Amino acid sequence: MARSTELRSLGQDLTSGRLSRREFLRRAAALGLTASSVAALLAACGGSAAPASTPAAATGASTAVPAAAATKAPVSNPAAATGGATFMKAPEPNPKRGGTVKTAFGVTVGHYDFHQGGGGPLVQAFDNLVTLNYTDGLETIVPELAESWEISADKQTYTFKVRDGVKFHDGTPFGAEDVVATFSRIIFPPPGIASLFQENFAAVEKVELIDRLTMRFVLKYAWPPFLAALTPVNMVIYSKKTLEQNGNDLRKVIAPGTGAFVYKEYKTAERWIFERNPNYWNPELPYVDRLEMLHVPAWTDRGTAVLTGQADFSWNVSMETHQEAEKRKDSVATRVLPHFGAAYHVAINNQRKPFSDPRVRRAIHLAVSRQNLIGAFAKQEFITMDRWVSHANKYALPLEDIQKLPGYRADKKEDIAEAKRLLAEAGHPDGFEAELMSADVAPHAQIMAPAFQDQLRRTLNIRTTIKVLERSLLTNALSQGEYDMQLGTSYGSDIPDPELMWTRALRTGASQNWSKYANPKFDQLLDQLKTEADEEARQRLVREGMQLLDDDPPFYLMGFADHLPMWRKPVHGIVANWRHTHWGRMPTVWLDQ
Amino acid sequence: MGHYLRKRLLAAIPTLFGITVLIFLAMRVLPGDPVSFIFTEAQGVQVLNEEQKSQARAKLGLDRPYHEQYLGWIGGVLRGDLGESFWRGEKTAALIARRGPITAQIALMAVALSWLIGLPVGILSAVRRNSWLDYLSRTTVTFFLAVPSFLIGLTVVLVGVLVFNWRPPLTIAYPWTDPLTNLQITIGPALALGVGLAAVVARFTRSSCLEVLNEDYVRTARAKGVVERRVILKHVFRNALLPVITVSGLALGGLLGGSVAVERAFGVPGLGLALTFALAERDWNVIQNLVLLYGVIVTAVNLAVDLSYSWFDPRIRYQ
Repeated sequence: MARSTELRSLGQDLTSGRLSRREFLRRAAALGLTASSVAALLAACGGSAAPASTPAAATGASTAVPAAAATKAPVSNPAAATGGATFMKAPEPNPKRGGTVKTAFGVTVGHYDFHQGGGGPLVQAFDNLVTLNYTDGLETIVPELAESWEISADKQTYTFKVRDGVKFHDGTPFGAEDVVATFSRIIFPPPGIASLFQENFAAVEKVELIDRLTMRFVLKYAWPPFLAALTPVNMVIYSKKTLEQNGNDLRKVIAPGTGAFVYKEYKTAERWIFERNPNYWNPELPYVDRLEMLHVPAWTDRGTAVLTGQADFSWNVSMETHQEAEKRKDSVATRVLPHFGAAYHVAINNQRKPFSDPRVRRAIHLAVSRQNLIGAFAKQEFITMDRWVSHANKYALPLEDIQKLPGYRADKKEDIAEAKRLLAEAGHPDGFEAELMSADVAPHAQIMAPAFQDQLRRTLNIRTTIKVLERSLLTNALSQGEYDMQLGTSYGSDIPDPELMWTRALRTGASQNWSKYANPKFDQLLDQLKTEADEEARQRLVREGMQLLDDDPPFYLMGFADHLPMWRKPVHGIVANWRHTHWGRMPTVWLDQ
Repeated sequence: MGHYLRKRLLAAIPTLFGITVLIFLAMRVLPGDPVSFIFTEAQGVQVLNEEQKSQARAKLGLDRPYHEQYLGWIGGVLRGDLGESFWRGEKTAALIARRGPITAQIALMAVALSWLIGLPVGILSAVRRNSWLDYLSRTTVTFFLAVPSFLIGLTVVLVGVLVFNWRPPLTIAYPWTDPLTNLQITIGPALALGVGLAAVVARFTRSSCLEVLNEDYVRTARAKGVVERRVILKHVFRNALLPVITVSGLALGGLLGGSVAVERAFGVPGLGLALTFALAERDWNVIQNLVLLYGVIVTAVNLAVDLSYSWFDPRIRYQ
């Protein structure tokens, strides 16, 4: 177990660039790996099809499709064929029962409606229709409230059989009508409901109830990531009754779920308390009797809370406390996890001159050193240089390949010369003046923004004034297009498939295309990617997309941030694969004490 | 006294009215849209279209004319209904009832600590003027005046974690439910705030005592053979106390509203942190009510301080 963890960690470090290839080989040899094993691990780290395996892959769910669900989705899943039931369990053997797990989390919960952007820790009380498999390191998709599913031959109809005998925490029986009500509200929101995930399901034509335990999604076209789109932790299933009783708006309602834990108490910005659901449909789960989720806004406080035993676990702690944990390996453990949802970038307003000229954006893309910016930020947060998708994504180019490309390479001599030529060609041989907005958080306003400003001035004589704004104002300026350049982290997606992220953020006119990027060639590529099921063809299209974005960059991308989870040694059952995380959900957590 | 009290209470009404108008207008005039916060995804980037935003505003009652919104709020306050959080539906009164006691306890402990430390230091420094004790106390006082309380707080937390593997609990515990945990939560912030305030108290006590020490009645008392200890405590200290009460009262008024920096440093879920979150989320209803509460607290503490003058100095009589 320990060796496997070390191996995954090595793979992570190699991919994220924190470990050289030579050092990787040295450490792998020290762990006793054979040459063939090293080669396999290197292939996995390099973004090939081989997934990072976890030691517990032998146990648990029997119904599974690859998490990316990009290719070869089965016409019917194994469970349906064999009639076997699927019940999730902890990834480790012989989990113990009982005890209370305390977590320190930092998210402020605006309201309680997941599908309108709230919910947060309340996720412990809910289930999804399908979920990522905790027993194989979140590599595959398995049923949760679904018992099985079938995919039609044309891959446009997904028929789900749901579990019988499941009850919501208020005693209401669960059925297929609840799934239909939930997804109808998401995909076809009634007036007054702001469905934040509507766009994720643009491919869905209708959601239909077949009988008490059967429902189906009918798609407009075959869309490979459909199952993956059902897996994020906020795709919870509400009861139809609760939705109807509250006029479809659950922002002020702590609705009953079907989950492993029952909501007990919430004190605003203080703590959530959940207790074991004694009637949970999965007889295996949960293992612990109680979850206490302490709201600890500062990530240093979260780290010190775990270090001192005030909390057992935190998903993201500060760099200093993470480093301190390295000295206390007897009592705490840590990981470095890539984060799909937040890439450091400088949004550029494509509608404003001179940024409307692709040559100007390309010049910035080429001239500003990503290595320098990431280095300047190294004491604040881990950022890994990325090329338009997260380094954890299986479509990502290996870091060593990215580092050879114009704009990404460390030696900027040629890039700066080319950038100056482009800028002169665009009519700005002496640079120009612009405004750079930054959030009023110290690392952004005092480190990253000045570093970016300095590089623009030194390399291209682009003279920027930094305007520091409170985050809400920054958001307004971004969404209303009232900015030149804006440092931010809003590029990302909770589904590890680049197509959805690109469609929402980079397609012409898309809802989160804050840079107002418009590239017909890229739109065409997205159209192809949308329905392409062949894995190799998909890989090729993503690479083509990356090249298009390099040639005509929508904004300046540095890279995706990594999260630093930390936990006390007795805590087990929290699965955090380096490619996937089920941020926040802990039905399989258990304590070895 | 009764007449004076009535006059002061009446005078408080326009003050509080002014506060309500100012905070109500400030929320609406300052940039930042509450609707941006309620429907957020991906680091706070809103994905609502204009129609959805309008619907959301209507649901919150923010589409009504300002005067209607204001009267609705004040009417509720006068009926004892402080309303609820825009987003979570949590009653503001419940939030204050839960967090207020911890903040109040920290404030009172900080003031008590400041007196326990500041008064003896100030008196000794005045009585032993220009001695090594005076120089030492003045240097120490200057140091603690210069060091911000949140820095003291951070140091306490850091030393706790790195040296003793301990940090204050991150939950709320009241003295009447769990005194030990409560003490662990409150002692750090009280110390961080109290030490800085003690420096102020010591400084005021010293200068005030020095002034009184030169008064005729002190010389007379000494000439009559009164024991020096009695001269200091009964004649000097009591008469030197008024400025100290004034400064402590002002500090208490501020601290009862919660010290954001210190609450943040120790992770104490008090009123200060509640206001910080409400501001960040543009939860106007919570902000308005908390600011009004601070207005009431400061007004009440000021009144109490004024009234206490007559107890400490019998020459003061309120008409």
